[in-house]
Amino acid sequence: MRATFSSVLTQLAVSDPKVLLLTGDHGYALFDEFRKACPSQYINAGIAEQNMVGMAAGLAKLGFKPFVYGLSAFVPVRVVEQIKIDIAHDGLPVTLIGDGAGFVYSHLGTSHQSTEDIACTRSVPNLVVMSPADRFELEACMMLAYRSGCSTYLRMGKADLGDVHSESISEEAVKSPISITKSKISVEEGNRNNRDSSVVIFASGSMVKTAIILANERYPDARVYSLAILKPLDEESVRSLCLGSKAIIVMEEHSIIGGISSAILEACSAIGCPPLLRIGVTDRFSQFCGSYDYLLQEHGLSTDLVGKKIDNFLDEVGRL
Amino acid sequence: MKISSDLIVPQFHSATLRRTILDMAYAGSTVHIGCAFSIVELLAVLYRKYLKYPNNDPNSEARDYLVLSKGHGVMAQYACMKEIGWLGLEDINSYFKDGTVLKGLSDSRVDGLEVTSGSLGHGFSVGVGIAMGAKLCGSEQKTFVIVGDGELNEGAIWEGAMFAAQQELNNFMVIVDENGLQAMGKTSDIINLGSIQKKFESFGFDVVTIDGHNEILIDIAISEFQKTTSMAPKAIIAKTVKGKGVSFMENDNRWHYSRLTKADYDAACGELEGQCL
Repeated sequence: MRATFSSVLTQLAVSDPKVLLLTGDHGYALFDEFRKACPSQYINAGIAEQNMVGMAAGLAKLGFKPFVYGLSAFVPVRVVEQIKIDIAHDGLPVTLIGDGAGFVYSHLGTSHQSTEDIACTRSVPNLVVMSPADRFELEACMMLAYRSGCSTYLRMGKADLGDVHSESISEEAVKSPISITKSKISVEEGNRNNRDSSVVIFASGSMVKTAIILANERYPDARVYSLAILKPLDEESVRSLCLGSKAIIVMEEHSIIGGISSAILEACSAIGCPPLLRIGVTDRFSQFCGSYDYLLQEHGLSTDLVGKKIDNFLDEVGRL
Repeated sequence: MKISSDLIVPQFHSATLRRTILDMAYAGSTVHIGCAFSIVELLAVLYRKYLKYPNNDPNSEARDYLVLSKGHGVMAQYACMKEIGWLGLEDINSYFKDGTVLKGLSDSRVDGLEVTSGSLGHGFSVGVGIAMGAKLCGSEQKTFVIVGDGELNEGAIWEGAMFAAQQELNNFMVIVDENGLQAMGKTSDIINLGSIQKKFESFGFDVVTIDGHNEILIDIAISEFQKTTSMAPKAIIAKTVKGKGVSFMENDNRWHYSRLTKADYDAACGELEGQCL
């Protein structure tokens, strides 16, 4: 996924000299290709994110199309005010890349973990919020951000989980809930404990992979959708999917406050919603040091623990 | 006979500008008069001589950029925009009325204002980006950023200063309105900045300190900086008086917050009348 990020950005910069890359002294080795191909379009703004984002606004006022790269804990969370006032207020064509979202920097602790970024950015007017799940969604999101000229926050989480789609996704398709094709879910007969196709799973970013694994192993008839563009959310499609289901599961490597489940519930607030299980970070910081997988477990987001929550939830729904 | 507005050369007389500020503040029953009064001469010189707006268009792509990072002084900029003809008398008289567009702090959606400021420390970095963009484009456009001395408390200012020097943005000029007061009192009592000149020098700027109400000195400072071949970004430290121009407002921080009574307004206008409009 990160290789795709680097190559797409380099291609954009080669074809359009107005594309700039600003980094807050992050991205070691990630930008080797870019720096080699377009050295004059690479700007290391130093460890000074506030200035970097304000400067991106100034560059955009002069017609440039800056991509601003940082760790998600810093861009956007540290600089929400600059994003709000300097960029989004004027609808400037700046794409903010927040890398390492969620628990990617598990061993480094709270300062580098980012589970508030979607909540922070969703409430900023004029700002598009993206959270691709694999390289295909990422490429579509990046191209959409570039071509639309919209102020955009693009969240990149755990990037080495492999693909969730088997082929490219169009910029148009990425705007709506993306159905995970059945061919991608290799159903193993005899391993099903739920045959109810009226269960819908919405997931985003890294959790799409978890959703697919669980659907493969336990809920083969559930319909799995990846949400790559969280704002503007295709509310009509989301409402339609929710209304057509008996139970909804939402999975995100982000706080359940203000994240994807919040967005879905907001979309359904006027019409009501079937029972909805929110799987995400429950208003707490990580307590321990450990691997990415360990921290997922600490927060109840490992595949096993998510599966147990879903089982319990579906049992409860079944009893209703 | 109808006189084309193109033939009217705006003068930017300081007393006229201050009178417009008073008219707005009184019409809108609003605050920040002292913040606006301290930058009147700085804006007058910039608009009269240095800022280039091709075809008198505030949105011209080839324009110079005046970034009012200390958005609290925006009434001084409105006053200059009225001189140019970008704002009319009705804009002045309807200040702060419901549904109008001129706000109490700089807002980029108003033609002629480059940034949305008031949350301090933002405009400096946006200005650095504009200056860098002009360099990348090979353009001769100039960027002037006005910050307050209290605003220098913001760390983002110094992030931008380091970067501007690193990138040799000699097309970037910051003007510090050093009036010695910030919202809650004297800057020296709150965060004592010491020598602002030395601070900017140590950050790699070419710096000069002048009387920020002396238009001749302001003109010379800008002019000399524009002649130099140095690649360093420029800083003018303008020693100013908050509330300058009206005796009972000068150096009195109540005029950061106070609203004009009819008596205040009449007395202030009376003083300005004596300053050869």
